[in-house]
Amino acid sequence: MLANVSSQIAQQLLDFFKQYLKGCLIPAFAPIPDEVIRKRLLIDGDGAGDDRRINVLLKSVTKWCNSTGTPEEGFTQYQRMMGTLAQCEFSMGKTLMVYDMNLREMENYEKIYTNIEQSITSAHEKIAECKKEIQRAKRIRKNRQEYDALAKVIQQHPDRHETLKQLEALDKELQLLSRTKENVDAKLELRKKQFHVLLSTIQELQQTLENDEKSDNDDINQESPAENGE
Amino acid sequence: TSDQTPFRIPLHFCFLLLHMSVFSQSFSPCGRFLAAGNNYGEIALFSLSAALSPDATALSQKPVLTFTAHDGPVFSLLSNDSQLFSAGNGEISCWSWSLWFLSFRSSLEIPEINAMIINPRDNSLVVGGGDNNIHILDLEHGVFKSVLQGHSDYIHCVSVREREAEILSGGEDGAVRMWDSRTGQSVHCVEIYKYESCARPQYGKWISCLTTDSDWMLCGGGPSLSLWHLRSLSPTSVFPLAGCQRQAAFYQDMILAVGEGPFVSHCLLGGEVKAQIPCTPQSLNTLQINANSTEHRVGLHSLTHLGYTIHTLPTGLGNMHYLQV
Repeated sequence: MLANVSSQIAQQLLDFFKQYLKGCLIPAFAPIPDEVIRKRLLIDGDGAGDDRRINVLLKSVTKWCNSTGTPEEGFTQYQRMMGTLAQCEFSMGKTLMVYDMNLREMENYEKIYTNIEQSITSAHEKIAECKKEIQRAKRIRKNRQEYDALAKVIQQHPDRHETLKQLEALDKELQLLSRTKENVDAKLELRKKQFHVLLSTIQELQQTLENDEKSDNDDINQESPAENGE
Repeated sequence: TSDQTPFRIPLHFCFLLLHMSVFSQSFSPCGRFLAAGNNYGEIALFSLSAALSPDATALSQKPVLTFTAHDGPVFSLLSNDSQLFSAGNGEISCWSWSLWFLSFRSSLEIPEINAMIINPRDNSLVVGGGDNNIHILDLEHGVFKSVLQGHSDYIHCVSVREREAEILSGGEDGAVRMWDSRTGQSVHCVEIYKYESCARPQYGKWISCLTTDSDWMLCGGGPSLSLWHLRSLSPTSVFPLAGCQRQAAFYQDMILAVGEGPFVSHCLLGGEVKAQIPCTPQSLNTLQINANSTEHRVGLHSLTHLGYTIHTLPTGLGNMHYLQV
């Protein structure tokens, strides 16, 4: 019976050691970096805690296997060893859970990190958009101001419709006056021509009268030499 | 040009500093450097990125390079894509921005070149001089192409109206003339002081600042700074700024003006003065907008000595920085 129990215990110890290795020494086959060693020394100082418990357990197992005391003593020692084993298993389970928790925390942080990065890029994009908007708004404002300035100048000049009306009225007046001028010119021409006709008729009459007088004189002169000649 | 320990500066140097005026400035094509010319004929280069960064020290606000460019004062500086043109009393020099050597010096003696501008249409440099004429220098061949005559007194400022291929010039005789850049004839002549709304007879009739936006023109000096609509040649707004304005510029939807008085005026096109940003020197000589950089926008400089202020305008009002000359 003692041999069976001892082999059972040995088997359990082996299993426990394997799991312990898996749980607490994950990078066991990789060279353990200084940081990890430092941390583990900090956590698990000079063999106090789990390591010490395992060492004590091993020692007690060898002592118990080689013990020559009463079966009751042996049994109590066996009980004690089982208790220590259970403690070690418990702490191993705790460490495994802590490890799981850390992994999940890391995932969570990664997610938050990517979220924040995304929001940063979208904020950058929004900033660029807003800058473009500002430029557009400034151009629009400049155009509006130019328009206002020109409008101010334009307001100083009189209204186009009024000017057009004034122009129309002036045009009409101009046409009226030019027509009157034409009429007057035509009348002038007519009078001129009439006077010309009158004057030329007078001159012709004068000429004819002169001619008549002259021919009368000539006749008288012709008669008198004829009388004188006789 | 100056010591690290201030109490070791010799006295004559202090006098020089006290009487130094910065007359002209130009931003580099990359937008990260500023060249400033003063009345001693020196040009100083400032690194904007060093001087305006959040951790700038007093040392980074000093020029990175200073050299003597002309015998007389440097009245005008202008940059194009790769070169810096500087004009003083009689000659125009052309410096390369990347390698800092003198690449060209003009041959014609033009007294007191007050203003220069590049006409991008035919790649020429329009120079307004003290001999009442505007000279046009062909940048491809380095020879003077033509002379525009018409002003009766020396020319203060020139500007180019890109869309209509016109050159505008303003001078001491109070007239703003518009020239057709192709034929070289004077197209219009506007005498600003004859308009009642702008005239300020107590200051005189000279026009010291002129800038154009193709459709609109800003001019001022003796008469008040006023906005003109070029198509109809009528003044649309007059800005109620005391003092004579030395330089004005269109910026987005605003007008920036500097001149007598320790501030930069921000005005709206409608004629109201939106803001006046105070700055250290008593009066400001020039104003430049850095179109090549997104951060450092506007540079101003001062009539007197050590002040050379940079005004950054990322949005709205911005803040003033101070560079040591």
